[in-house]
Amino acid sequence: MMEFFSQHFAWMLDPTVLARQTLAGVSNGMLLFLISAGLSLIFGVQRILNFAHGVLFMLGAFVAVSLSAQWGESGAMFAWVLLAATVVLALVGGLIEWGLLRRIYSAPHEFQLLITFALVFIMGDVVKLIWGNEDRSMTAPQALSGAAQTLGITFPNYRLFLIFTGVVVAVALWVLLHKTRWGIFIRAATNDRAMLGALGVNTRWLYTSVFALGSALSGLGGALAAPVVSVGPGLHVQIIIDAFVVVVIGGMGSVMGALVASLLVGVINAYGVLAFPGWSVVMTFVCMAVVLIVRPWGLFGSPE
Amino acid sequence: MTAHRKWAALVCTLLVLLPWSLSDFWIFIAIEVLAFALYAMSFNLLLGFGGMLSFGHAAFFGVGAYSAAIFFKRSGLDVEWMFTLAPLVAMAVSAAMAGMIGFFSVRRSGIYFSMLTFAFQMLLFTVAMKASGLTGGDDGITGLKPPGTLGTPMGYYWYALAWCLPCVYLLHRLVHSPFGLTLRALKDDPMRVQYVGVHVRQHQWVAFVISAACAGLAGALFAFSTGNVFPSWLNWTASATPVVMAVLGGVQSFYGPAVGAAVYVVLEVMISGKTEYWPLAMGIIIVLLVLLMPTGLVGRLKKVDT
Repeated sequence: MMEFFSQHFAWMLDPTVLARQTLAGVSNGMLLFLISAGLSLIFGVQRILNFAHGVLFMLGAFVAVSLSAQWGESGAMFAWVLLAATVVLALVGGLIEWGLLRRIYSAPHEFQLLITFALVFIMGDVVKLIWGNEDRSMTAPQALSGAAQTLGITFPNYRLFLIFTGVVVAVALWVLLHKTRWGIFIRAATNDRAMLGALGVNTRWLYTSVFALGSALSGLGGALAAPVVSVGPGLHVQIIIDAFVVVVIGGMGSVMGALVASLLVGVINAYGVLAFPGWSVVMTFVCMAVVLIVRPWGLFGSPE
Repeated sequence: MTAHRKWAALVCTLLVLLPWSLSDFWIFIAIEVLAFALYAMSFNLLLGFGGMLSFGHAAFFGVGAYSAAIFFKRSGLDVEWMFTLAPLVAMAVSAAMAGMIGFFSVRRSGIYFSMLTFAFQMLLFTVAMKASGLTGGDDGITGLKPPGTLGTPMGYYWYALAWCLPCVYLLHRLVHSPFGLTLRALKDDPMRVQYVGVHVRQHQWVAFVISAACAGLAGALFAFSTGNVFPSWLNWTASATPVVMAVLGGVQSFYGPAVGAAVYVVLEVMISGKTEYWPLAMGIIIVLLVLLMPTGLVGRLKKVDT
């Protein structure tokens, strides 16, 4: 037992390493939150598991890389790049919902699954057609590079910026869902779509807007991730799996659940890299399987 | 029933005679069709007859392929024994794996069943990637071509057919047995079937294990035909393949998925020979299929019939 501990968890005794891994996990978790919040909202409202959500994230990253190459890498321009990627992805998402998804809401599960898979294949290849096969990279603006020194721990500024942005988005989403009429409709739709329609709410428009919102969040996530990952056509593969794990653990349809589970999965991954090198992914899948078996509606979801 | 038997005998005869009319390349494709037809039919036992949408069926195809490959590399048996036993080993390991995964998965229904099977598939994918001592990791296992007559396209075709036909026959018997009828009733209304006194989970679990054994056999046959196994066979993009094949052929019919598998494999060969954007083409085909032809090819033909 002691041997097992010293082999896998001895690094935890070093406060510097522990703090560094925790912060890294939290900042990755915030990126994960951006993509899984949208995934969760869309599942809650439309009851569709959107496998294409990772491709939207990738698209956001590619848009950001291209725009920042055009517009330059100053701090102000970076803000515009983030905004532009968000808006572009909102439009793409709205278009997908309007053109495709709204035709299959009453179809069996396997058709909905196939359509979102088809979107993965189509958009994955479209990205290759536009941007080619090579990995691209993008540098963070000067103002956000460098590192902060606290208590002997070095932490990259950009990671702190990611955490800050994640908190801002989480608060904004909370306000949107709880203080605006639109947000009330979204929460009502998560509860009972038919009843909401019967009360005279235009659910078609609501669905389009929710999908656009989810896509926009994913695009923002991709744009924010662009400076810290290599942006290539395989970017969506891992992120969508992590997002699924998050949504299942947090509870499908719950934004709060997505936030908590994102941070959890981010930190588990960051610890797992040191504790069980190469096997940390297994830990998140085991978490997911356990949650599905014990509490299938997730930590913050409600049973149907 | 006799008419049905005559048709079956005719199709079997044609399948046996088929390789004489094909070039080596197309015999190779025919072998792939056999393996994937069995795979898609085993998947449809769950979806079309049991109403269980498994997102993780590729796991059992992959486990079958890997266990046959590892058996091939490690057992040190001579050729006859090897190729008599390897498919059985693949079926047994896949069934055992499905026994465990199914035990947990059938406890949940609908989308949660799909997600659970999906989670287990990703777990196995990670194992295939990381346990490189056993599975070769990223590179997979290569050099699995059988020697001698079995290594020729024609010889291997008959070998694969000799495994597939009995398996399909058993699946057919199963679907039309009282067990199969119960399974179909479960799809329509699990609650009522439970009232009659049927052990719902047990039936679903048995169907899950049988289906996985057939998928494992398909995986093993395909692995020996291409000579390789890769971890990508277990990756999440692979879970769509049996679903596409089944829906393409039509999930309401027993033979539909086999037709879907044949069309899918031939399309893949023709399109990916011309362009590297086969996924794009497949995506468009799926969209058209779902929007325009939701009952599948066989469902469509049947409609024209009546």
